Amino acid sequence: MKFPILKSLAVGAVALFAAGSVQAETLRVGMECTYAPFNYRTADGELAGYDVDVAKGVAEIIGADLEFVCQQWDGMIPALLANKFDLIVASMSITNTRLEKIDFSGPYRDSIGRLIGKADSDLNLFDDNGAPIAENFKGIRVGLERASTYENWFNATLPGAEIVLYDGSEPLYLDLVNGRVDVIMTNPMKAQLRFLSKEAGNKFAFVSPAISEVEFFGVGVGIGLRQGQDELRERLSAAIRELINNGSLKEYALKIFPFQIHNDEWGKS
Amino acid sequence: MSFDLSLIYESIPRMLSGIGITFQLMFLSGLLGLILAVILLLMRISGKWYLSWPAQVHIYIFRGTPILVQIFIIYYGLPQFEFIRDSVFWPILREPFGCAVLALTLNTGAYVSEILRGGVLGVDRGILEAGSALGLSARQKFIYLTTPIAARLALPAYSNDFISLMKATSLASTITLLDMTGIARTIVAQTFAPYEVFISLAIIYMILTWIIQKTFGRIEKYLSRYVNP
Repeated sequence: MKFPILKSLAVGAVALFAAGSVQAETLRVGMECTYAPFNYRTADGELAGYDVDVAKGVAEIIGADLEFVCQQWDGMIPALLANKFDLIVASMSITNTRLEKIDFSGPYRDSIGRLIGKADSDLNLFDDNGAPIAENFKGIRVGLERASTYENWFNATLPGAEIVLYDGSEPLYLDLVNGRVDVIMTNPMKAQLRFLSKEAGNKFAFVSPAISEVEFFGVGVGIGLRQGQDELRERLSAAIRELINNGSLKEYALKIFPFQIHNDEWGKS
Repeated sequence: MSFDLSLIYESIPRMLSGIGITFQLMFLSGLLGLILAVILLLMRISGKWYLSWPAQVHIYIFRGTPILVQIFIIYYGLPQFEFIRDSVFWPILREPFGCAVLALTLNTGAYVSEILRGGVLGVDRGILEAGSALGLSARQKFIYLTTPIAARLALPAYSNDFISLMKATSLASTITLLDMTGIARTIVAQTFAPYEVFISLAIIYMILTWIIQKTFGRIEKYLSRYVNP
């Protein structure tokens, strides 16, 4: 070639251009960081859990860098709207009320609830078909997390129940042990790991079947993002489908539970 | 983000439904705190170390730690002990309301006793000497001379503390009580609209402060009727 310098310049320019285009976007991910086993800090201070694995898996597929932001649950959506971060990957169930404010990717985890009470108590709160017996809830104090889907389910299904609202799941367990509430409704996977399998929870057990009414609990847990980002939302959903279909999602769940916690149907687009 | 004015109109009545709890917390802790403060004051000025010393420890602890921490210790900490759950106090401590009143009372009692002590120390020596000259006993001097003057001197600072107490009742929302702040936090969690709801809440508290301020202003004027005619 006549102009070796020009050539090398051109190559350099192409390389630069290419580097520029693969320069990964950085997505800031909001989560509680205290919601084990889905998002929490290990003893070394590293973030870990199912949500964290999903966030990393998705980021790898769409080629983005991640930055995690810890945010209290009741301020999660306001913080997303205030642009404190770009995605919520915090075990947030997809519900109609939330969809009024934010968008969600496709689901990546089941969303169910179960009640926990004293193991030796004879509360008899549900009949054999798994439907709640309203009159047996009279005089029973139920502990719930504020603004959770469980609260909505209770208000609609059992309006007579005496509900006590908490700001996190640790205070729920504490007050159940302390006897301030008779039962709590919470995420069974988390309760199993953080409470029932521990010494503090050994006198307690599930006192209800799995409650999964789609009307209240939504189709599942998804990644939350601000509205008007349809292209990003589609990339996230496609990445989640890929994680389901290549078995990664099941692998993430088996690290923690003896079973998968998603629906394989979700992998079909 | 848009500012939804209609949400303010909708949420204010809901929050006002919690004003009863706020008032109950404020008046009950205010009254019990005042009684505690007088007891602590008498202990401190008794001149006996075994009375004055515990009072000083109480004041030091409750002025030296944040009220939120005190609430958490009483609410979450005390039930860790089996004997407390078996004691006669458990029916009170089981309820978040009882815990909140206890914490606010212990806290405001410590502050108010210091305010009252300032009032007592501010009483002019000459007046007490005049009392002695008239043949009043120490007890009579305390009741007829020190108490009314000290109350007048302490009132401005006390009204300040009462306003602090009113605002501190909002911390009860952290232990599941649905006072005005507790209801506001629930509305925020449902509507995801923190600005509208918390600003409305702030306005309600501001109005309450204004009312308390005006009320104490009147009492102050009444107590000073011989001093500033």
